[in-house]
Amino acid sequence: MRDLPRRPLRAAPDLRHHRKVIASRPTPVAWLIAPAALLFVLFFVLPFAVMATMSFFSHNPVSNPNAVLTFRHYQRFIDDSAGIFHEALLSTLRIGLITTAIALAIGYPLAHWMARMQSRLGHALLLMAVIAPMLTGIVVRTFAWMTLLQDKGVVNTLLISWGFTEKPLPLMYNEFGTVVALVHIYVPFMVLTLTGVIGRIDERLEQAARSLGASRARTFLEVTLPLSVPGILAGSLLVFALSISAYVTPSLMGGTSVLTLPMLIAQQVGTSFNPGFAGALGVILLTVSLAIVVAYNRILARLSGQGNLA
Amino acid sequence: MSAARNRTPFDAGRAVYLAVNALLVAFLLAPIAVILVFALNPTPYISFPPVGVTWRWFDKFFSGADFMNALWLSLWIAACVLVLSILIGGASALALARGNLPGRAWLTAFFMSPLMLPAILTGLALFQSYLLAGLGRPVWGLIIGHTLVAVPYVIRTTLAVLHNFDRRIEEAAAVLGAGPIRVFFEVTLPLIRPGVFAGGVFAFIVSFDQFPVSLFLVQPNGETLPVVLFNYMKFDLDGAIAAASTVSILMALSVVLILEKLIGLKAYVKL
Amino acid sequence: MTRTVPFRRRSLIRTAAGLAAAATLGAPAVLRAQTRTLRITTWGGKWGEMMKGQVLPAFEKEFKCTVQADQAFPFLPKLQASPKGDPIYDVLHTNSNEQWKAVDEGLVMAKITAREVPNIADIYPYAISDKIVGVSIFTSAIGLGFRTDKGLAKPTSWKALADSKLAGQRGGYIIPVNSLGQAHLMMLGKVYGKGLNDLDAAFKAMAELKPIKLVDFTGQMEKMLLAGEVSMGVIHDSGIYRYDGQNQPVDFAIPSEGVLALEQVLNVTPGSKVRDLAFAYIDYMLRPDVQKLLAEGVWYSPSNRKVKLDPKFDAKLFNTEAKVAQLIQPDWKWYNARKDDIDARVTRILRD
Repeated sequence: MRDLPRRPLRAAPDLRHHRKVIASRPTPVAWLIAPAALLFVLFFVLPFAVMATMSFFSHNPVSNPNAVLTFRHYQRFIDDSAGIFHEALLSTLRIGLITTAIALAIGYPLAHWMARMQSRLGHALLLMAVIAPMLTGIVVRTFAWMTLLQDKGVVNTLLISWGFTEKPLPLMYNEFGTVVALVHIYVPFMVLTLTGVIGRIDERLEQAARSLGASRARTFLEVTLPLSVPGILAGSLLVFALSISAYVTPSLMGGTSVLTLPMLIAQQVGTSFNPGFAGALGVILLTVSLAIVVAYNRILARLSGQGNLA
Repeated sequence: MSAARNRTPFDAGRAVYLAVNALLVAFLLAPIAVILVFALNPTPYISFPPVGVTWRWFDKFFSGADFMNALWLSLWIAACVLVLSILIGGASALALARGNLPGRAWLTAFFMSPLMLPAILTGLALFQSYLLAGLGRPVWGLIIGHTLVAVPYVIRTTLAVLHNFDRRIEEAAAVLGAGPIRVFFEVTLPLIRPGVFAGGVFAFIVSFDQFPVSLFLVQPNGETLPVVLFNYMKFDLDGAIAAASTVSILMALSVVLILEKLIGLKAYVKL
Repeated sequence: MTRTVPFRRRSLIRTAAGLAAAATLGAPAVLRAQTRTLRITTWGGKWGEMMKGQVLPAFEKEFKCTVQADQAFPFLPKLQASPKGDPIYDVLHTNSNEQWKAVDEGLVMAKITAREVPNIADIYPYAISDKIVGVSIFTSAIGLGFRTDKGLAKPTSWKALADSKLAGQRGGYIIPVNSLGQAHLMMLGKVYGKGLNDLDAAFKAMAELKPIKLVDFTGQMEKMLLAGEVSMGVIHDSGIYRYDGQNQPVDFAIPSEGVLALEQVLNVTPGSKVRDLAFAYIDYMLRPDVQKLLAEGVWYSPSNRKVKLDPKFDAKLFNTEAKVAQLIQPDWKWYNARKDDIDARVTRILRD
């Protein structure tokens, strides 16, 4: 926005000035946005507008002649007389943030390993290991986690037989189990996004820092990590967006102690048959998460002292 | 860390690095091991320790006409989605990075929004709109629905590599007399390849594994594999679904191997 | 793809002003009209296999039509999204509670009688009672499933589930999303309070059942019982009997307070363009031979009194006047009207 979207590697002042001049008007490349814009307007904005309109109706106006305009779905969320909706929103965001943070912590070393792997075979094997979890199918994969984490599951059975614990640990039907399963599903997104970025970092920069006497930790912190910020940003946003909109995993892994907004939305659509309230919850979730994403973009851009990372 | 590769004094650090990564790979693969056991175990539920080995779940999967039709349909749709989203997503990433578009941060966030909306709502919204437009439930509508949730990945991953991309290489090529098309194919495209590749992998997988969007958009007798598996599972939760999963994984892995043999994936992902 | 063409044509015809337009566009529609299409919803799994493999092809042949069976659940939101005059389904097959929601919005017919569906004359009264909108073609019985290898006595009362020995070993359903869970909640009101509608007693009893493992759908409960993750749980009889002959240590118990009916209900959408065919389909599903085939295939109790089941099924399924008298039918209209409040209350109770 303010700047050209490229990383100013200690850019010279005259270059910056140059960029500002270009930035004042779109270049012909901007037209490449057209297909996506068309796709999104026709098949996302319009349908979402239909859904948002529905959220101001008491019933689905397409099939129900008694549908009337109302603000009651939003009022219901705001009032939250049963005391679950606000909590659901907060726990959706909390689970999203925790999942993202852990996925980053787990994904970064893997991505680094993959990006710097010399052996072709090793690289192919690692790539397979990373891609495989994505193809198991959401429900089957969740069942696999249940098998691992439930009371008579593999982990508890092993822990008990090794004498680490007498009673099975509560590994699922709670937020812990939910986050574990979400991290597992979404970590590949983090890894593959980061790998592309880390792989593009010129290793000579690291070697130069090392030869100037910087420790490995310092080289990593001051060269590699800052240069991978775009990947961290991209991967984190993907994982965050995915985990705040997940509903199959939290409902299977969370049991009674986890309630998220997407679970409520799915309930309203599929079992309470109230598309209006579902639409209202969707509008609220999307608004809140867009605000968070934009804020996150801004904060990270400021922290890293870089013009624009988005 | 990687600088330690050829140096002996840092073996300890290197060992920790490898150990951590090995643990993480184990974390990724543990559920897959469970699925494999489930697929081969004769009992109709997951039991530990397994009581034997059987191919009956694979038989059931491969002999089920519903499963097979759905598998091919899903593969076909995922292939369409892959092509569409690479083209659309790659192009818009270039536009976002190079087009000097006003409100870029918001635009980028906007293109992420299909991922933030619970997909069941996206599916319902599309379904409702198709019905209102009198379109019914055409296959292209399903493909578009998948493309919509796949494009954000391609945009994201491509933008991420474009960001570290030194534009002076392109400028140099242009200065050396290359036309814009030649610059694109010989300089820009090879450079953004890792991002597009990662995005393409996501697009394919997101489509192949897509459940909530498909739920509303599939037509009777034209269900995709995840929908068929889910319907099946609600009533018959047995090893057939684990077999289906195993087959999907094996297929993907063979694609990875073939690509590796043919073009050398490392070059693609790493550059 | 091509399947949607006739409907698009039809809606075009409706809107076309001129006769000429109708004549040119109508020609293909007339040709297709000879093989009419019936759009229904149906389940997946073994049921779906039998429907698609045997029942529906036979129906298509006999009635010279094509049946388009939607198996992608949930069906009601799709019906809600389609215009009333041009519904996406002709016959809606769901459990009873959803039919009540559908009739509430005018999406299905309020009453079906033997005039439209002659075989109704032969069915048990519960299948067409005032607790049913449409016709129940089969029912399961919701009772208690339990492990036979844990030294548990066969439960005789719903109260057995509250036994303190079963803490963390008992299973139920996520009440907002599963009608077995909803039915069980009402049963708690009857067992511990003044009746099915005694919600306060039900909530209190529900809180006493903690810690309890809650699942999304019945297939999951079956597996939890088989795997021993749950020793006793709320389940329908067909979910246990289907493992008959497989040497699994599980059994089904009918509590003395009665079992809850889990009906498979068919109903016709008022806007259906092939209403006669829709009624014919319901009638077909009630035929003794079709009923026997499906009942023995998935362990559902048939609605038609004239069905003669093989001894193995006859012994267990609810197919005599005396046996069906044990079936309790919840008042879903009453429940649906309170569903949102109940969901919120239960969610609170189970989280605290």
